[in-house]
Amino acid sequence: MTEPPASAFDAVTEVVEPLAPLAEPGIWKKMPKKVYVGAAIVLLYMLVAVFAPALAPYDPLEINPVDRLASPSAEHWLGTDELGRDVLSRMIYAARIDIPIGFLGALLPAILGTVLGALAGFYGKWVDTVIMRTADVVQAFPAYILVIVLVFALGQGARSIIIAFTVLAWVIYTRIIRSEVLRVKDLDYIHAAQVAGLPRLRILRVHVIPNVINQTLVYLPNDIVFATLGLAAFSFLGLGIPPPTPEWGAMIAEGQPFLRTNWWLATVPGLVIVGLGLGLSLVGEGLEERLRA
Amino acid sequence: MGRFGFVAKRLLQTIPMLFGIVLIVFLVLQITPGDPARQIVGLRASEAELQEVREELGLDDPVLVQYVRYVGNVLQGDLGYSYKSRKPVSEIIGERIDVTLWLMGSGILLTVLISVPLGVIGALRKDRAADHVIRGLGLVGLSMPPFWTGVILLLLVAIPTGWFPAGGFGETFPDKVRSIFLPALTLAIASSPFIIRGLRASIISVMESEYISTARSIGVAGGRLVRRFVLRNSAGPAITLLAIEMGYLLFGAVVIETTFALPGLGQGLVLAARGRDLPSVQGYTLLFALAVVVVYLVSDIVTAILDPRVEIEA
Repeated sequence: MTEPPASAFDAVTEVVEPLAPLAEPGIWKKMPKKVYVGAAIVLLYMLVAVFAPALAPYDPLEINPVDRLASPSAEHWLGTDELGRDVLSRMIYAARIDIPIGFLGALLPAILGTVLGALAGFYGKWVDTVIMRTADVVQAFPAYILVIVLVFALGQGARSIIIAFTVLAWVIYTRIIRSEVLRVKDLDYIHAAQVAGLPRLRILRVHVIPNVINQTLVYLPNDIVFATLGLAAFSFLGLGIPPPTPEWGAMIAEGQPFLRTNWWLATVPGLVIVGLGLGLSLVGEGLEERLRA
Repeated sequence: MGRFGFVAKRLLQTIPMLFGIVLIVFLVLQITPGDPARQIVGLRASEAELQEVREELGLDDPVLVQYVRYVGNVLQGDLGYSYKSRKPVSEIIGERIDVTLWLMGSGILLTVLISVPLGVIGALRKDRAADHVIRGLGLVGLSMPPFWTGVILLLLVAIPTGWFPAGGFGETFPDKVRSIFLPALTLAIASSPFIIRGLRASIISVMESEYISTARSIGVAGGRLVRRFVLRNSAGPAITLLAIEMGYLLFGAVVIETTFALPGLGQGLVLAARGRDLPSVQGYTLLFALAVVVVYLVSDIVTAILDPRVEIEA
């Protein structure tokens, strides 16, 4: 481990500070308040997504040409869009698209990256070489640009977006987990487990991974923010979720031409995205503060 | 190995990386469904016309032959012809690159103008009110999608004042500055939170180091301490961070060019992807990937030149 960093990436991403294990007794009680505030915000969004059919006053896809571009009123709290669809209902239903895709688009690469990082660190040798050199090449690409290319190749839609995020976002987890596993691998209790003759896979699964997994957990909320913002951006560009499915980013694009007259069409969906992002960031920051203490 | 050895090593590392990038761009688009020949000649064309185009493009050749030909063409600056406009992709890129360079250049300039003061204040006033305010703003900034920030700036600045156009790129120099200011500010708002965070952390760790204590003990203080001793040593990590953000900044440019209707490379990529114009998508992607590789390389070299320790380590 005396090798100097080969490039800028290694210098920044391979400095991993050890975190307190999550299993430490009482750790949940001493979480900073921001974790609870953030979690409450995120929970609220999830509830809206789950109960969308009960909460939305109208069918989000119902077109009403007579009532197009209406201002906010008692019937339509956020007015109607270019096709006369109720904006509030579309905002509520969009939670059912943005939240699951944002979470899956971060969770899948986190799982893939954690497993690959653990394998690379634990087994070393050619396993390590293959995984880490692949990571170098993937990381050399401008990731979001490559998402555009992958979605171009795979076809528009949720499935392509999630696949593209998974293929591209695992690298950071692999780097972090690998360097943590290298540290933990040398601790006495792992040597003891080896002397006791436990199978290697069992040592990795039961004794190594639970002790490094919180590194993944601390990074995950930030990544959910990136995935959600990414999805919204691709839909805004017309390369994500195809119409007429309601999605926050696409709604901003649909509302932009009417900025002078119906300014709320393009601005309110963005506020909703910022709110979710803030909730997740608070959870991430708070977790990091607590575990790093 | 000396400093020049390090630079040479990094240059050599870049070559296989470039081939890998060309290979991935080639392969990803190889799996793209649809017949390029059919796209060029249109739905009504006869089978004979289709076959003619296929032979002209060499689409019936083995994949390996196509790849070698593609690499050969790329090395000569030939990126193929757009399916839409039938113009050479390299020519289209040439027409659009100006706007993107303007956007990236002024965006990075504004990022530095915003991040350096805020990063320094955050670090020097660590855990006090100013630091909390800056970190709070950073969290908000990180959660704001750049295209939405752009829309907000259009609504709150461009429309009421009338000073900035709602879209497009100006012809004369003052018009160019006017049309690029809001997009560049949008880019800076998106990228500054990362740089502020990194610079703050980097300054805090420098402030805790022994040579700063030494400098203080011989009576260096205030602005002189910050400028001569702290900032110089915090610059390296900040430059590296800016380079790592390059991929994200380029994507920011893609989104922002679309928001502000700027006819740059990013808007070109989006239009090409929407129009399923394969050679153009390939060309833009290759160019963006190349830009990122070059920026990493330059940042590593600059850091190596700035930091005397790299010589010993490498």
